[in-house]
Order: sequence, then structure tokens, then C-alpha cells
Amino acid sequence: MNEGEQATGPIRHRAILVARRLAGSVGRTARIARWEVSRSTGTIDRKTILVVAAMILVVGAVGLSVADDGLGLEDELYVVGVDENDPYADVAAESDRFRSVPLEAIEISEDGSESNVDVVVTPDGELGYVGENGQQAFDAFRDAIESYNDERMANAEDEIAAYPVLVTVDYQERDPIESGGTSQSERADSDGTTDSDGTGSDAADDPATGSIEDGGETGTLTNGGDDEDGLQVPDVGGTVAEQSTPGTPETLSPPFPFQSLVLAFLFIVPMNFLIQAYGSTIMDERIKRRGELLLVSPSSRYEIVAGKTLPYVLGLVAIVVATAAVIGGGVLSVAAAIPIALVFLGSTFAGAMLARSFKELTFVTVTISVFLTTYTFVPAIFTDVTPIALISPLTLVVMDLQGDPVAVGEYLFSTIPFYLSALVLFLLGIGIYREEDMFAQKPIPAKVVDAITSQIDAISSRVHAYWSPFALSILFIPFVFAAQLLAVALLFVVPEAIALPVMFIIAAVIEEFAKSIHVYAGFARGRFESSIRVAVVVGALSGLGFFVGEKITHVGQLVGLPELTISMAAFGPELSSDLSVALLLALFLAPLVLHVVTATVSAVGARRGPATYAAALVVATLVHALYNLGVVALVV
Amino acid sequence: MAIVEVADLRKEYGGFPAVEGSSFSIERGEVFGVVGPNGAGKTTTLKMLAGLVEPSGGSATVVGHEPGEPAMQRRLGFLPEESPLYEEMTAIEYLTFFADLYDVAADVARDRIDGTLDRLDLEHRNRRIGNMSKGMKRKVAIARALVNDPDVLIFDEPASGLDPLTTNYIIEFTRELSEDGKTIVFSAHNLFHVESICDRIAVMNDGRIVARGTIEEIREAHGGTEYHVYATADGSHGDGLGEIEVARENGRVRHVVSEMSDVETIREIVEADDGRVTDIQTKTPTLEEIFLEIASTSDSDGEAEA
Repeated sequence: MNEGEQATGPIRHRAILVARRLAGSVGRTARIARWEVSRSTGTIDRKTILVVAAMILVVGAVGLSVADDGLGLEDELYVVGVDENDPYADVAAESDRFRSVPLEAIEISEDGSESNVDVVVTPDGELGYVGENGQQAFDAFRDAIESYNDERMANAEDEIAAYPVLVTVDYQERDPIESGGTSQSERADSDGTTDSDGTGSDAADDPATGSIEDGGETGTLTNGGDDEDGLQVPDVGGTVAEQSTPGTPETLSPPFPFQSLVLAFLFIVPMNFLIQAYGSTIMDERIKRRGELLLVSPSSRYEIVAGKTLPYVLGLVAIVVATAAVIGGGVLSVAAAIPIALVFLGSTFAGAMLARSFKELTFVTVTISVFLTTYTFVPAIFTDVTPIALISPLTLVVMDLQGDPVAVGEYLFSTIPFYLSALVLFLLGIGIYREEDMFAQKPIPAKVVDAITSQIDAISSRVHAYWSPFALSILFIPFVFAAQLLAVALLFVVPEAIALPVMFIIAAVIEEFAKSIHVYAGFARGRFESSIRVAVVVGALSGLGFFVGEKITHVGQLVGLPELTISMAAFGPELSSDLSVALLLALFLAPLVLHVVTATVSAVGARRGPATYAAALVVATLVHALYNLGVVALVV
Repeated sequence: MAIVEVADLRKEYGGFPAVEGSSFSIERGEVFGVVGPNGAGKTTTLKMLAGLVEPSGGSATVVGHEPGEPAMQRRLGFLPEESPLYEEMTAIEYLTFFADLYDVAADVARDRIDGTLDRLDLEHRNRRIGNMSKGMKRKVAIARALVNDPDVLIFDEPASGLDPLTTNYIIEFTRELSEDGKTIVFSAHNLFHVESICDRIAVMNDGRIVARGTIEEIREAHGGTEYHVYATADGSHGDGLGEIEVARENGRVRHVVSEMSDVETIREIVEADDGRVTDIQTKTPTLEEIFLEIASTSDSDGEAEA
């Protein structure tokens, strides 16, 4: 054997060992997954199967209906009595809301209160209505006539005859909270000046206000769908098909992707049901101490959790793919919905590990359902308005359904916090997936501390325990990011004067808590010696870790979110290239100093107990909030 | 070499010491009993051995591995005090699943499961576990602990809450397993069962082992044999008598001594006083009596080697 073979021998041997171990682990995980499926199938009664089947049918029907031609709730709602040769008969035929009957088929009661029609078109072209719904039907018919006329005009061969005056409307991304009086539109001004009224003399070159052009013969009513950023895609009427359609001023409506939103929501519905079953199976292991026997088997807790979770992951992926197929979503829709599903499962798993009873589990799963549904759905409403909408992967689904382009950076910005949050939630849950915690009836905060302590132990088994705050601060970044994005979204519509100070405080609270809770857990569970020296060391390392994590995951920059003042309050400002190198360096390193100092303050308090920890956390938060205020004021 | 080695094993829950410095070793094929009152630390000790609970200090090895290592888990059978079974499965499905989890080949598992259930006399093997009686469920749980043909078995209260017939059946079955060469760590509140099948025991109280050894060694160290001498006169005032307990019962005097030579001395004194010895009884304390004595006096004592 030559030297090369001698050198590669141990490596190959090690590789074979690792491969065997991995294969064994995959095998055990698969067995537990298979068993979970067969076991769960045995627990489902006929009633449950019927309910699930009905749910799938409803979701499928709604999806198909909406994907096909809208919700269809008002199809043939009203009846019009009209001669089939009358031009109004075409109006009734074009609109889904109306069904027409010949005049000779009309039946009206003697007192005129009841009839088999709602609207009547007399042979001489006069409109009238009868019966209880007559007034509403009449108004709806008038709207239908206007739409019919608009459509005819839009399709007219002689466009000039149809539209003697043309107005071009460009929808632009809106910056609702302007920073220091500088809006995007103002920055866009080529002369670098600011309009006094925003709609003044140079309105023609200010796209934020739109423009009126004479020589309208060549103009059309358009939207911004051809913008390369792909974010400000207003949707006249809310569907892709209606983009770039000429119309009258009254057909203009704010961009609101109603149909796409409804379809995107269909991804979320089944997740809410599945987590109930998933939460129950995890809780079953705990409440009845069933998990004890799996824990004494050769399977690790990671394999047990993976095996128990795998069927639900596969189930959700199958549902996501099926939903995408039904509503016409593409790969992007699937890729956007999967991280949402993982967070649903991750938070349910962590919640089921913390709950002490099925009653508490119900509270946990309902809270998760409401929170995650809101978190994902509400921002997606603003898909066509602001990049803040991208905090929800559901926005990607809406964009996919609308045919809007999505950049890789946007996908990562939207989904990475979800992937990482799911991962951390599973890790925290697995940390307490052991006999001592699974079957103990401790208060939830104590279990949370235990879950974090388990991660300290896991890290301490590889490196010195003092490095665990460094690693955990990085690990908690996705939660910080998600929480701050949520706060930004919630404060988005609040006046700046209120939103900014509130955001400063919220951002500080979130970050200081994330930097210190694991340090507190370490002291509370005796993992760190309760001395000032140790508190300073672990506090400083926690601050350093947070700084590193923050810089690594500063994905907010990807979509330019920090350009919004409200997001500057959360994430810090984007540094201008006009600043001096020294100032740039100082501004770059200032967060490091801040995080180290405030985390150390919290750590010093944490070593003495919960009360002093809370007090120190308040101090650290105030320092942090003042810092945020100072830096934003300095840079903006 | 001992198959189970425990040295200074400790466990604390939130600063409360559940187990304080337990040390013992168990030889291959031995049945080792762990007894003590509720809260003594028996179950925590067994769970530390099974790898379910992480020790706060000290060390333990089972079949040469630390508890929790997969190589050790494969050679361990654990029967917890409660029987947490998957009640929606049949006994066969349940046992087959666990055999699969222990990488037991399907044909081997089938034979082993059938054989074990035959020995346990368990009928209705394809009945859902939820529809089984408590005794049947316990038998399924025992069969599960044996599905991987382990070298070491940890039985925590195997007959707890069962009727006398099933209890006897399980105790006998445990004895058979011992005869098959299995090493068994056995915990029970019923000290009669412990006394009947254990080779050695450790008595725990307040998280500490307060006595350990064979039953005879413990009996010797904590009570030994007593002689009750009943006489018509008091014979306790002679010289050279050891520690003696005297009581009057139904017109007779009862003398309790631990040495046979003292019995003879008492007889001589009594007869010198014109009395006579009417009865002599030999008393051997039960394990329960010894246990009660140890439990009541061990609060401040350290561990005692019998």
C-alpha cells in the first residue's frame, strides 16, 4: 500500500461509517414515519374521514370555481324579461349575474309584488323593475349595461371614435411614510428639486402623480406591469387578463388582487386542519407517556421527531402541489407555500411540546392558526402596493398567479425567515423531546427556558459553554427578523409621528430579548457560573453573535426595504455613499458596540434571577431605542 | 466483569437531589432488586440506567456502554412502571413495529414474538390493545421489552396494580428469564416478590442507597435472627448477658436475645428463681421488617454495605 492509500484509508473508513450511520438513521426515520401513518390511520373514525373528504371537496370546488371564472356566487342572480332581438338581451347574455326570459313568458301577480322576473325591458327600450329584488336588480343591470358599453368601446376597431381623449395612468410604488421630506418621487426628479405641491408644474415628469397627455390619439390606459422591478404591478379590476385594457375613468380601481388572494388563501386552509392532527399526535406521546418507549429504543430523538413529522410534511407538500395544480399556480407557488407549511408544523410541534394538556394544545394551535394566517395573508393584500408585502411568502403566490416576475432575492427575502424559523422551532422542540421535559408538568415559561438550555447543552458538547450565547444569538435572528417585519407591517399605516417611536421601542425590545433570553436560561439552569466576569463574557459573546448574525442575514437590503423610514427604525438605515470612510466605519461598527454593551447589561442582570434580569432588560432596551433614534436621525 | 456499573450516580431536579451518589455493580445473569419507599429515587435510578434521564453527576455503564448510546439501547429491555402502549394497534402490530425499530429481521421477529407470547400465555394477539385487560396489556409490554432479545432487562414495578394470579405469573416469568441468563434489574414495592427472586438488593431512601447486598447479608446486618424465650420468671439479671429485651405477656416474661448462649443463661437464672422456661421461638425478620427499620433510621446515616 502506498502513502496515498494509507492516507485515504482512514478517511474512506470514516466515510463508510458515516454513510452507514446515515443509512441507519434514514431507515429508522422511515420506519417511524410508516408506523405513524398506519397508527394514525387506525385512529381516524369514519366521521373524521367524511369531514376531511368534504373539506377537500369544498377547497377543490372553490379553487376550480375561482380559477375558472371567479367565485360565481352571483351567477344568474337576477332575471331579465327582454325580447331576444332587443340589444339589451346581449347585455343580459354577457353578464353572469343575469338570465333572460322572453317578454311573453313574464308572469306578474295582480298586486305587482311577485314576478318571475326582476327587470323588464319593454319593446320600446324602457327599463323597469318588479318584485322584492327589483331595485337591486335594476341597479345591477345598469352597471352591466355600462360594463357592456365599456367593453364594446374597448374592442372598437376605431379607437379614436371610442376614446376621443386618452389619459395615461402609470401606477407607481408608493412610499407612504416619507423620510425627512424626501419621497421616492422627489428623488426621481431629474433636477434634484422638490415640487412644492407634488402635483405642480412638472407633473409630467413626476410619475407618482400620473400625467395627462394631449394628443390622446396615441395614448392608452396602462398599468405598470412592464416595470422591471415587478413589484408595482397594479391590477385594474384585479386580474391579469384585464391589464392594459382601455376603459373609462370610472373603470379605474385601486390595485387589489382579489382573485389571486382568494386562490392563494386556499394554500393556507388545509394547513390549519393538518396541524390539529399533528399537534394531537405529538401530545399523545407526551400525555400518555407513550414516547418513553421510543426514547429507550436505538432511535435518537431527532429520528423520532423526523419520523413522526415526515408524513405530515409529505401530506402538506401533496396538498400544496394539488392546490397549485387546481388554481393554476406554478413551481413558484409551491416553493412559496412549502416554507409556510413548515412554519405551521414547526410552531405546532414546539407548541405541542410546551402545552400541558389537550386544552392548552387547543389554545396553542388556534393561536398558531390565527397568527400565521394573519401574518401570511394580510401582507399579501398589499402585493401590488409595497415591498413590505414580501414579508409573506403568500405574496409570492399572488405574484405567481398574476404572472408577475419574482427575483431570486425577493424569493429568498420572503422565505428564508420562514425556513429558518421552522428549523429553530423544531430544534427548540427537539431540545425538550426527552423524558425529563416531555412528561413534566412545568409552566410554559420554565419549559421554554429548558428548551433553550437544551440547545446550550448541545452547543456546549462541541465547544466551550461560553460560546453558546454567540451561536444562539445567531440562531434567533430569523425570529427577530420575522417579528420586526411583522411590526413594520402593522405600523405601516400608522402616522409616522406615532409609528417611528413605537417601532424604535419594539425593535429594541425584540432584539434585546433575543440577545439575552438564552443567557438568562444559562444562568437560571446553572450552565454558567453566576459571577460578574462570566456575565460580561457571555453577554459580550451574545452581542457579538447577534451582530454577526444580523450582518449575515441583512436580507432586508435585497429588496430595498430599509429605504422606508419605518423599516429603518427596525433594521437600521442604508448607509449613504456620501458619508466619509471614518463615519461609515463608525456606523458599521456602532451596532457591534451597541449589541455587546446592551447584551452585557442584560447578562449582568440575568445572573441574579428573573427580577434583576427584567430590570436589566428594560435598561438595555432603553439604551438600544435611544441608539436607534440617534443613528436614524444622524443618517437620514 | 460486571454488566452494569454505577459509580456515584447523582440526579438533581431544580436543585432537589433525587438520587445522591448511588454506587453498585451487577454481575451478568444476576437479578438485582432496587427497593425503597415512594420518592426514594428508585425509578430515577432505573431511568438513568435506561438512558431516559441524564445524570447530573457520576457515571454508569450498561453492557460496556454509557446509557443512551444506541449500542447499549439495542441490548437493553426496559419495562416502565406504567404500560404506555399504542392502544389502537394490535399486539402483533405493536410488537412487530418495535422489532423493526431494533433492526430485528422480520422472520426472527415473528418467531420471537410468537414464542414470547406463547410463554406469556397471551391469547387474542390480533385484538386491539385498547380492548385488552390490564394483565394482558402488561404481558404485551413485557413482550415488547424482550423483542430485541436483550442482555439486560430493567423491570420497574412489573406487577404493579395486577391481580394476584397475573402477578404470580409475571414473577415466575421473570424468574424464568433469569434462568435463561438475562441480567435483570428489578424494582417492586412488594418485598416478598423481591425477596423471592432477587440475588442482591439495594435499599434506597431519600435518594441514597442505605443498604445493599444479598438478602442474608442485609438480614444479618439489619436485624439478624432473634430468640424469644418465654418463662414464668424474669431471667434478665444475670451477668454476661448481651443486649436483652424484656416484656410481660399473659403472665409470662418474654426475653428477646440474639445469641443462643444467652438463651441458656436465661434458662439457668429462671430455674434458679424456681421458674421455668415454657417456650423458645426463633424469629427471622422479613425483608419488609428490615426495610421498615432501615427506612425509619436511615435519615442521617450514610450508605451501608451489608
